[in-house]
Parts: sequence; C-alpha cells; structure tokens
Amino acid sequence: MANRLFKGQKQFKVVTIEECLSCKLKMKRPFKINDYVYKEGEVCQKCGTKMIISAIYKEELKY
Amino acid sequence: MGIGVYQLFPTDNSSIQQILSLIFYAIFFFYLFFGQQLQVQRILLSISGALNKIKDAHDRSKREIIDFLQKNGYNGDAVSHVNTLIEYFTISPVDLDPTGLVKKIEHILSVRDERIRSEVRSMLPEKDALTISILENLLEISAALNVYYKVVRHYYLIGKKTSNLYLLMQLQMVLPDLLREVEALVSAIEPIKNAQPIGDGIGPMVAGRLLLNNEKKQIARDTIFGEVNYKNRILYVIKAEGPAGNVGQPGNAIEYLINNYGLKPAAIIMIDAALKLEGEATGEVAEGAGAAIGGIGVDKYKIEEIASRNNIPLYAIIIKESIVEAITCMTKEIVEAIPKVLNRIDYLLENRTREGDSVIVVGVGNSIGVGQ
Ligand SMILES: [Zn+2]
Repeated sequence: MANRLFKGQKQFKVVTIEECLSCKLKMKRPFKINDYVYKEGEVCQKCGTKMIISAIYKEELKY
Repeated sequence: MGIGVYQLFPTDNSSIQQILSLIFYAIFFFYLFFGQQLQVQRILLSISGALNKIKDAHDRSKREIIDFLQKNGYNGDAVSHVNTLIEYFTISPVDLDPTGLVKKIEHILSVRDERIRSEVRSMLPEKDALTISILENLLEISAALNVYYKVVRHYYLIGKKTSNLYLLMQLQMVLPDLLREVEALVSAIEPIKNAQPIGDGIGPMVAGRLLLNNEKKQIARDTIFGEVNYKNRILYVIKAEGPAGNVGQPGNAIEYLINNYGLKPAAIIMIDAALKLEGEATGEVAEGAGAAIGGIGVDKYKIEEIASRNNIPLYAIIIKESIVEAITCMTKEIVEAIPKVLNRIDYLLENRTREGDSVIVVGVGNSIGVGQ
C-alpha cells in the first residue's frame, strides 16, 4: 500500500495462519505469494503431521 | 423623531459607520443576486476534487493491469487491449415481456464472460486458471471505476455547462457514498493481485473447511462440490473453485445435483457475506430464510425456483461486513466468524433434518485465495 490515494486509509500487513488439524497447534507468519487457504503447510513442530493454511487475513500495523 | 428609512443611512454619525453600512448593503445585494452562482462555483470545486480522485483511482487500476500483463510476459499493445476490455458493455434484454427474462440475462452474461475470458486467455496463453482469474477480476475493478469516472464527469460537465445548482447538489449528495465505493474498489486491487482472500470469500472458506480431506469434483463452470459425511447426514458441499478468483455457478450446481443426480435434499443451507448496516459489528452471524446470494440474480432465481418447486427449505446464514471489507483483504473479525457459522450449521442439521438425510450446503462468494 505504498501510495495512499485516500487519506485515513490504514497501513496493514497480511498474515498466514497455519494450523495442525491433529494437535490444534497454530502458527502465524507473514503471507507469502502462492499461499492460499486450505493449502498444505509445513510439518507440525509438535506432532509431525502436515499442517494446513487455515486462514489468511490482514492485521493493522500499529506504530 | 419617528423611525424612518433615513435611519438605515445615518447621516449624523461618523463616516466610518456610513462606509460600514454601505459595505453591508453591497454584500446583501451581492448575495441576493449572485449567491446561487457562488454556490455553484463552490460545489463545482468540491466535485472536481472528487472527480480527480476517481480519475486517479481509474488510472491506477489500469496501470496495475498493464504491469500485471507485462510481468506475466505479455508483449503486445497492452494499453489498447486493456482499454477495449474495460469499455466492453452488455445490453440488458427488453423486459416488456418478462417471461423467460432470466434465461436471456443468463445467456447474455455467459456470452460476455466467455468473450472476456477468451480475450484474457489469448493475452496470457500459457498461464494457469489463477493468473487468468486475477486478470479477469482486475479488469472488472477497472471497468467499474471507468463507469464511476465517466458518470461523475458527465454530471459534473453538464452541471458546469448549465450552472444547474440542483443537479450539482444531487451529485454532491451522493459523492461521499460513491467515493467510499471507489476507495473499496481501489483497495481491492492489492489483495486480488496477490491472490489473497477477500471478505466476500468467507462463504467459500466455510465450505472449504467442510470439504477438507474429501474428494472434490467439478459440477458447473468454475464450481466444485464434494460429498461429506457429517453428523450422520450426507452434505453436498458446493463452492466456487479456488484459489482462483471465481464466484462459480451455484444455481447450476444445485440444479445439476437435483435434476441429474436425483438428489432429494432435506434442506439447502446457503452461507454468504452480507452488507452490514452502519453500527453493526463486522463478523456478526445471523440466520434467516431464503437464497443468500447476490449478483444480478440468475443464480438466486434458479435456486429459489428449484427449492420452491421441490418444496426444499432454504436456510441462509450470513456473515456481516461492510462494502469495503467485502472486497478488500480478509480481516480477523470475519475469519473468527467461521466457528460460529459451523455451530449454526450443526444446529440447523440437528433440529431441521434427520439422520441419513441429504443436505446441500453452498458457500457463496469469491474464492480468490481460498482453496478446497
Ligand atoms: Zn500437530
């Protein structure tokens, strides 16, 4: 959001949430291109099963 | 001494007072005769500011499309190609004889969609469905901004030419809402370019959640479905095919399931994002009856038609969000509505259907960034 056309537009970053379906571990990381919801993610650090991307959303940047 | 007109022009006092009252009268008569022109000029100024903003928004959307095309290896005349596609119009069919109108609208829309898609494909022949759909979505945004810009410019110029205060006032009155919509369209560019889910994608997200680890099959144009065993019922879950930016054809999908599959569903549950009223909280979940689906109305018509003909209850679960939230990047409040929606579905299944029943669940919305 480099050029803000309208004043009052907020700055934000987009995050990806990876979730392990067996142990419910959740991991938040910055969004990467080619991420999409329900895509296979990394291996769960706790139980070793494949995680899935359960959500992608924007977070307001706070200064 | 009685009160006379001469008191308005005092002669006995200082000349300062005389000058002041003269100025007062000058201003008074100026406003009496030229006040309206002054107001016209003031409104024209404020509208021209807004018009410039809309023009900037439109130019930026076009620039983004041309950048996107070049980044994806298109080396033809992007500018003229994009201009042609942005100006592409559809003529709505005559409604003097409304019988069969929806069929005609559907036909015209499908001709348009096919035409645009083939044009986009010819520009990016070796690209996947996701890239094609991103370009289609960006073109749609740019075409909408083009209409906003041209219509506002039209009334601005007419108002200026005729100094028509009342026309300009009407334009000025709708401008704040209009600018909000323009702002929403502009902020939709970034998430769509990056294939990130938008607020409208909450329906497909709920459907995708139900479809996890189940087999998915194509059922209509850009639309998939899967059979899910859930709470001793068989759910036929329908959503637009992601992660490309599609809205799919849920109407055709339901028709196909019922007519060609011989399905006799005990209920149809539709999940969709809905516009909230100012003051309502984003992500609020509400339940109702009817076909929860927007757009021109072709899908809505088909679903209502088949549900009423077969006497299938139509349940709607909506997730509230603003127009800006609906077309810009997904927010946390909206994502947090998913468990609430799933609870509502559970409740409906347990209370309004029996074990062994078939139920159609449709996640309505744009599937950009939402797989299955
Ligand atoms: Zn785990």
